[in-house]
Amino acid sequence: MTQEKKPLIRFDVQRCAFCKICELSCAKYHFSKYGDALSRITIIRKSPLMFRSLICTRCDKRFCIPVCPTKALSYKGGNIVVDEKLCNSCGECVRACPFHGIRLHPETKMPLICDLCDGDPSCVKACPKSALTLVWLPEVRK
Amino acid sequence: MIEMKYSGYKGKILRVNLTNKKTSTLEVTDEFARKCLGGNGFAARHIFDMVNPRMDAFDPTNVVAMMTGPFQGINIPTAGKYYMATKSPLTNGYFDSVSGGHIGAQIKYAGYDGILVTGRADKPTYLFVEDDKVEFRPAEKLWGRLTGETQEMIKEEVGDPSLCVSAIGPAGENLVRYACVITEYRAAGRGGVGAVMGSKNLKAVAVRGSGSNQVADPAKFEEWINWYNVEAKKIPALATGLPTYGTPVLVASINNMFGAMGTRNHQGEFFEGWEGISGETLKKGYWNKDTACPACPIACSKVFTVKEGKWKGAVSEGPEYETIYAFGSMCGISDAAALIKTDSLCDEWGLDTISYGVMLSFLMECSQRGLISKENTDGVEFKFGNDDILVNYVEKTAKRMGIGDLMAEGSLRAAKVIGGDSERFAIQVKGLEIPGHSARALRGMALGYATATRGGSHHDPRPTGEYAGASDRKAIDGKAAWVIGTQQMTTIGDSLVQCHFLERLLGFTLTQKYVDMINPVTGFGYTLGELVDVAERILDLERAFSVMTGIRRRDDTLPRRFLEEPIPEGPSKGMNTDEPTLNRMLDEFYGLKGWDKRTGIPTREKLIRMGLEDVATTLENL
Repeated sequence: MTQEKKPLIRFDVQRCAFCKICELSCAKYHFSKYGDALSRITIIRKSPLMFRSLICTRCDKRFCIPVCPTKALSYKGGNIVVDEKLCNSCGECVRACPFHGIRLHPETKMPLICDLCDGDPSCVKACPKSALTLVWLPEVRK
Repeated sequence: MIEMKYSGYKGKILRVNLTNKKTSTLEVTDEFARKCLGGNGFAARHIFDMVNPRMDAFDPTNVVAMMTGPFQGINIPTAGKYYMATKSPLTNGYFDSVSGGHIGAQIKYAGYDGILVTGRADKPTYLFVEDDKVEFRPAEKLWGRLTGETQEMIKEEVGDPSLCVSAIGPAGENLVRYACVITEYRAAGRGGVGAVMGSKNLKAVAVRGSGSNQVADPAKFEEWINWYNVEAKKIPALATGLPTYGTPVLVASINNMFGAMGTRNHQGEFFEGWEGISGETLKKGYWNKDTACPACPIACSKVFTVKEGKWKGAVSEGPEYETIYAFGSMCGISDAAALIKTDSLCDEWGLDTISYGVMLSFLMECSQRGLISKENTDGVEFKFGNDDILVNYVEKTAKRMGIGDLMAEGSLRAAKVIGGDSERFAIQVKGLEIPGHSARALRGMALGYATATRGGSHHDPRPTGEYAGASDRKAIDGKAAWVIGTQQMTTIGDSLVQCHFLERLLGFTLTQKYVDMINPVTGFGYTLGELVDVAERILDLERAFSVMTGIRRRDDTLPRRFLEEPIPEGPSKGMNTDEPTLNRMLDEFYGLKGWDKRTGIPTREKLIRMGLEDVATTLENL
């Protein structure tokens, strides 16, 4: 019997150089243009040595799904999937996520959530310092 | 949204008046973009048009320009920067300072090619720009604060941990003539842009944009990126030197191979204590992690931490090579820990590290020669090698306390106060302290510093080609053409707002490789000739501004020490550029530039050829 697994884009704070090439490549992959407001990953720096990556962690609680008033969010194949026909852009999911892993597209106002770029994340490929890696962790939800 | 034919531009520049709190926008036309390229070109034209060159730099009518070029906000190496310009309180001329930082991209994403700030706020203010919204926010609570906490407090107030903020420290508020602007942990260091912000009661600028930037020809652009990724690996400096050690890698070679590292205020150019402050020492004893400017895969920036000893606990992004020269060899200090401590303090209090270190080494020599005594310097003897002075006088200079008040004026003004023959060894050109690339060991830097708009800057002329042997560092013949070439290259770099570290890959002077990088992004279809003209146009605009402040050929010179005293020891022993040699090179330089040989003023014919007829007329009516 195989155990179900969930993906995680793991962040190595020691390797990250704060170049934000991950953000640029994320926006480029999904929208063919560059802009951090279009990125599903955000890197922040609080002090010379304190960095964080903000991205959907596929957390065990999945805070975003139950708060959605229109039931537009679901978990499928390791990703939080948005049904854009149902979404009313209220932003409840953005506020519910403790990992700051969701933002609304500045124009369409649809939630932007990491979708692993069809299984081959562009941020992981683009990182010049190999600070991001895609790993699969055991699902502990059930 | 303004539709432009060319890519990489937003078509407008935000204009902010702090006096009446009014904002407006200036159009960036396709023609203007093509003729002036961005950053340096945009600012040079607007500052020439808006600022009275004879007015004091702290007059409210002075302008602080914060500019971008076509490369900000896209994924291109070494362009994660922003460009600042103003009339400098240190040199009184046109002055620009380029810094790494995400704010350049944010200005683009907010829909602007740049911001021009004029006027003076009636009380401390910071500017918050979010797309079309511009807010003048109170900054009383931030006044007096260090740059790090200022940035964090603004992020907190806005509620966005990824917000980009450029801030000044107390040095800028107190009008220290070489106060810098800090974004994250990088500095628009030189020339006192931070002091001009302080004179405007402008503590910080925060920008957030929801837009994007695109390139003209994505396929060709990707082709260029792929070319870069292959070719950059073949250049040792880009593949290993800078990624491993950062700019401190230069210490060993400049000191030991070239004997060109100014020591004890350039009484020598070989520092016997180099090992204590070398790239290898920093890497082995203090390195913590690599950091990068946005979108740059090189990551040449290093965070160093001090784990033990007198300066335990110090953390800094840097020191870079120039800082190591200014604090280390110039002040006779061979303890890297003291350098790391002082580097972080300069960033926090908002001082330019080069000018601060060179200013201090000047006072140390004044003390050595008995021109000043303990009574002049707060009861402390300013002796070479005293690291406590180096560390402690950052705060005192930023607050203008005691002798710090004189240090805040820069070495040229200080020399005029101290008198004697001290001006002979004030290591500055046009008021700007000279960085760590010898004007005596590198002939190109002698002519380069003498003729640079900013004076003692290593980012107007470049030393790299002479270190690499692309131009014979001792040659006199042909040096004028070489220097003009490197100044054109840096001007294009400053207009793209891209750092000059790609020079080993793309060329020390402008080449077709620069054209091939620019065209896919902008769609200009430049030829090399047109690109060279863009550079010359911008340089002539800068020179015209300098001329209007009173700069003439007689000002295009070097400290007397460099003209009169050859290097006393080391690998470059006996080298310098004396006055007759400098004059010979200047004649050739002005001739090639199309500037008048007697006065150093750009001729009417040259200005017309550059499309600057109005500038020619302005100069004739002086």
